[in-house]
Amino acid sequence: MTAVLEIQGLRKTYRARGGPRRALDGFEMYVEAGQVHGFLGPNGSGKTTTLRTLLGLIKPDSGEMRILGHELPRHLPSVVGQVGAIVESPQFFAHFTARDTLSLLADAGSLPKERVDWALELVGLRERAKERVKTYSLGMKQRLAVASALLKQPKLLILDEPANGLDPGGIREMRDMMATLSAGGMTVVLSSHILGEIQLICDSVTIISLGRRVAAGPVAEVLQAHSSGQVKVALETPADLSAAAQVLIAAGFQLQANADHLTLSGVDKPALIARLLAERQLYVSELTPVTADLESVFLELTGTAPVPGQVRSVDQSVRPELTPQSGVNS
Amino acid sequence: MSLVRAERRRFFKRRLTRWVFPIGLLLLVTIASILFAFHSKPTPEARARGEAAAEAMYQEQVRYYEQYKRECGEKCPDDGWTGPQRTDFRAEDFMPPSFDFKAQYGELFLVWAAIMAMVAFLLGASFVGAEWASGAMMNLLTWQPKRMKVLGTKLGVLLLSVAALSILALGVWTGILWAAGELRGTTEGLTPGVWQSFGLTALRGLGMILAFAALGFGLASIGRHTGLALGAALAVVIVGQVGLTILFQMIRVQFWEQYLVPVHIFAWMNKEMKLMDYSSPETVCDNAGNCNPPELLITWQDSGSIALGLVVVVLAFAFWQMRRRDIS
Ligand SMILES: Nc1ncnc2c1ncn2[C@@H]1O[C@H](COP(=O)(O)OP(=O)(O)OP(=O)(O)O)[C@@H](O)[C@H]1O
Ligand SMILES: [Mg+2]
Repeated sequence: MTAVLEIQGLRKTYRARGGPRRALDGFEMYVEAGQVHGFLGPNGSGKTTTLRTLLGLIKPDSGEMRILGHELPRHLPSVVGQVGAIVESPQFFAHFTARDTLSLLADAGSLPKERVDWALELVGLRERAKERVKTYSLGMKQRLAVASALLKQPKLLILDEPANGLDPGGIREMRDMMATLSAGGMTVVLSSHILGEIQLICDSVTIISLGRRVAAGPVAEVLQAHSSGQVKVALETPADLSAAAQVLIAAGFQLQANADHLTLSGVDKPALIARLLAERQLYVSELTPVTADLESVFLELTGTAPVPGQVRSVDQSVRPELTPQSGVNS
Repeated sequence: MSLVRAERRRFFKRRLTRWVFPIGLLLLVTIASILFAFHSKPTPEARARGEAAAEAMYQEQVRYYEQYKRECGEKCPDDGWTGPQRTDFRAEDFMPPSFDFKAQYGELFLVWAAIMAMVAFLLGASFVGAEWASGAMMNLLTWQPKRMKVLGTKLGVLLLSVAALSILALGVWTGILWAAGELRGTTEGLTPGVWQSFGLTALRGLGMILAFAALGFGLASIGRHTGLALGAALAVVIVGQVGLTILFQMIRVQFWEQYLVPVHIFAWMNKEMKLMDYSSPETVCDNAGNCNPPELLITWQDSGSIALGLVVVVLAFAFWQMRRRDIS
């Protein structure tokens, strides 16, 4: 597989009022061709900064970036035609109609006029294309933004929170659209806070926290690597649950008793449990590893799970150590 | 080029272009029409009435003069004055004015240039200011990442479009005034030399209009908002002009008028502007013994180079900032 997007050791410090703010600190990211890649991170972790830097809107302090093998930002002009992007609900000139907005962009990018209608159709705005953007609802503006990104029929589609403001139907349409586009060979990078959505449509993810990568890889692998080895155990006769619990505790397992099942943690060989219980005539009816969902992995990795009675500030999240291979190569 | 076409379309699609230019044009048409309406061609009756009025006035002045002579008698000062001259009383002065194209058109270039300069400043500022403020500029840069090219194209399209609109306005303006000359006065005496001088004045006017467009564009781009350019203009007018006038008069700066924008606009359009310092106790005398207050001559070259310098500085800063700034 070839990497469509590569980022190594990316650093960016904003000079802002109240001192410099380090938004990216040795960040890295790889996206392979044809994948739908989720880009996750708490608020202010640097997602938008990363995407803006890729698009040449922000100058990084250091780091290497490549899109489709072209070095950025130097060769951006030669690949920009193959990169469609929306960055954090882009604003359009409010007094132009949707069609004018897109056709001006199509002109600027030397694209054929028919693309405009094609893109409007795709996001369901064709009927309202003659109305001024000012009169659009949030979701309609978002759809227009997606249309503008699709206009180029890009090889790499970068969407920063595209679902922002979409209705449930719109979110599902977006999901289907991304599946279709990726089946057609397009690579999609998708930043979102709707983790259920990401889990449904993404092949792989990168999780960022305070400007550094905390996890990356295929969704299943990330989930597996960070599942805590929990196993759910149910018995044929629920009355025997407490007996079983004693047996397992005696064998050194950590467990939690529930009404109709036991939850064990730190299990590496689930088969051992069945054998231990069978030796005491306790028969297991269900023995399944509990896989964590993306949300809990995300909260654990970024350290942003809410703690009752505490208020978390936006910048309170995990800053991982830079591992030797994770690009301190400045 | 596709970017040029896109920007040209954008320029003429803008609401401001579709409002401000017609308003400017309407203003010019109104002024020209008033000039047209208040002039008339001399009819024989009007001329006869004018002649009669001039003659009557002459006779009256002669009577006054003779009465004065009688009263002072021998003591009259011998100042060489021999009384009113008949040639000083012209029938034209007692007739409804007629429009002399040759004499008046040249002076009226200033009206066209000033109105169009205002229009150009507004269009220039909002063309790029609204783009920045709405985020459309950022969007465009994800299509065309060569920032210098984007800003340069916008500026080029602005200047060409404003030039086209100004020439259109000048055409309408000239048309009405020409009609005024033909129908309500005279278009005589238009030698090639006169036309050439008109042409040069029109070119200077166009230069001034484009300078204002570029200034508005540069300021709005630096501030990423139309409002910045308008604010700067307002500040120059109120603080710079009204304030400076009051201050300089108080501390008696000689030739303080040279710091006023209108003086330079006037010098630029009329080739020169002479400032006289009547409050000075000194006078400057020439060889023939004529003494005048000290004077300062501002030529169109002076004003032009100051304006050019200003435009270059503002644009250079705008482009330099465009090259290096983070867009977020
Ligand atoms: N223009 C700017 N000037 C100064 N600091 C900035 C600027 N833009 C972003 N930052 C800071 O950089 C950090 C990363 O911001 P960024 O917008 O990349 O976060 P994000 O991951 O997109 O967050 P969100 O999920 O809220 O969209 C934040 O701390 C933010 O305050
Ligand atoms: Mg963001």
